[in-house]
Amino acid sequence: MSGEALPLFRRALGDSWRSLVAWSLGVGAAIALYVPLFPSLGGNPDVQELLDSLPPELVNAIGYDQITTGAGYTQSTFYGLIGLMLLTIAATAWGTAAIAGDEETGSLELTLAHGVSRTQVVLERTAALAVRLGWLALLSALVVIALTDSAGLGIEPQNALAAAAAIFALTFLSGTLAIAVGGVTGRRVYATAAGAGIAVVAYALNAVANQGENVDWLHAWSPYHWAYANSPLAEGADWGGLGLLLGLSAVFLAIGLAAFSRRDLVT
Amino acid sequence: MDHAIETSGLTKHYGRVTALADVSLHVDTGSVFGVIGPNGAGKTTMMRLLLDIIRPSAGSARVLGRSPREGAQRLRRNIGFVPGDLRLEGRVTGRQLLRHYARISGPVAPRAIDTLAERLGLDLGKQVRTLSKGNKQKLGLVQAFMHDPALLVLDEPTSGLDPLVQQEFLTMVREAKQNGQTVFLSSHVLSEIQQAADSVAILREGRIVTISDVDSLRLTAVRRVRVGITGSSPDAVRRVLEEVPHLSELTVGDGDGVRVTARVEGEIDPFVKAIGVFRVSDLAVEEPDLEESVLRLYGAPKTHHSGGREPNDVR
Repeated sequence: MSGEALPLFRRALGDSWRSLVAWSLGVGAAIALYVPLFPSLGGNPDVQELLDSLPPELVNAIGYDQITTGAGYTQSTFYGLIGLMLLTIAATAWGTAAIAGDEETGSLELTLAHGVSRTQVVLERTAALAVRLGWLALLSALVVIALTDSAGLGIEPQNALAAAAAIFALTFLSGTLAIAVGGVTGRRVYATAAGAGIAVVAYALNAVANQGENVDWLHAWSPYHWAYANSPLAEGADWGGLGLLLGLSAVFLAIGLAAFSRRDLVT
Repeated sequence: MDHAIETSGLTKHYGRVTALADVSLHVDTGSVFGVIGPNGAGKTTMMRLLLDIIRPSAGSARVLGRSPREGAQRLRRNIGFVPGDLRLEGRVTGRQLLRHYARISGPVAPRAIDTLAERLGLDLGKQVRTLSKGNKQKLGLVQAFMHDPALLVLDEPTSGLDPLVQQEFLTMVREAKQNGQTVFLSSHVLSEIQQAADSVAILREGRIVTISDVDSLRLTAVRRVRVGITGSSPDAVRRVLEEVPHLSELTVGDGDGVRVTARVEGEIDPFVKAIGVFRVSDLAVEEPDLEESVLRLYGAPKTHHSGGREPNDVR
């Protein structure tokens, strides 16, 4: 029986291993290119001088105010920016393909004509998304751990894993929202727009909220802030933030499931 | 359970468009039931309703004794389905794809997949996305038949198949029937329905026009015939053929022998017997035209012109 368990989960993973390899290379390469530059950028007094000469609004907006520490540098360059972008795109693409994409190509009709429920399709494919995204996040932590000594980052391994958990939870939100919108509408374009959109909004809210005390309250509405406010690379896991992110993902999935189970397949 | 499928007032609206209107029918367990009708008549809508892919606006259906919605995945394990718009993609081989579908349908006997693939002449080792339309259709048939489901729902199952494979498919349908399986299939090819089905429903614009057994449908089939006759005069030929019942649009030409064209409604036998008295050098009988046969069932005027294939011409 075990060989037959979770057929849709296994198919989703089997169908996407090529893209997972490509994303893994991209994520690995991004960190491996940025992190070794820390001694010459973040630790360099000239760079600090340059940052001091820039408008503080700009520096705050892109989160480069902590760039002089290894944790701050890795956060600003990878987890807060490039890595976030890569994982958001991957999560949105996979989340869109899970329901809306499969529905638009017409193959979902045949899958659902078999002995599977719609709930099972959504949950197994969400699990497959979580595994792939989790792997990319874990990979980023492993590369950081491998490079921390040579680049002088001074990041504790458990804190690297905490940052991986944060970026996973944050980008999983894009994936689950893309799945949910696919569940509600069946349309690829809406699913992609929603998955990418929530990431952009989260980032923008945080950047605006960084500008001063009178807009500080906006932080409360930014998933980006939930993930990174307590600097996981320096301080370790922020369970409250992770809980909030995963909880919101669960809400998205519940809404998507409810709508998907009730509606007609778009054909 | 006498009826594998039973619908009552089954209706489906899409906005203001009515795809299916008040369809009530029943399909006896162990029979082959055909649905014919022009494109957009509601055949596909009906099958999707039976599979719970879409939900009715009104009315109800019972499939193998269960409502599609409540029977859900357990019910669907007992159904084999070929969608009308079968689109298969992916970098997996046909065999891998079928194994996947086997995991999410009823239990598949060990050799079933290979046996079916051999019968249909399908190479299971090729990547699905590289397969031709016909070969994808064969994959669709294999996944529908492989678990010996109690009910087969087949939407235009032979589209894209070459004639030999179509014959093999008809054999598979007959065997399924002998097995006690029920087959519900749609087609726009009348001869296919005639060869395979016990009963037939004709659907047009979402409504059932008629449900009858196939034998009575055959009587209304309309065929075009062309005959070449040597050793007789046009007048002699004309005199004989004018006596044949249900023959119209007769033309008798003189050229390289006598050339005859005509339209025969219903049984072909009286016509064949009639031309038997001549020396026949050439004979062509066209497949009965579904559109024309359907039009006959609407009571279209007998002089209806052969060019008129639009159902809208009738009313």
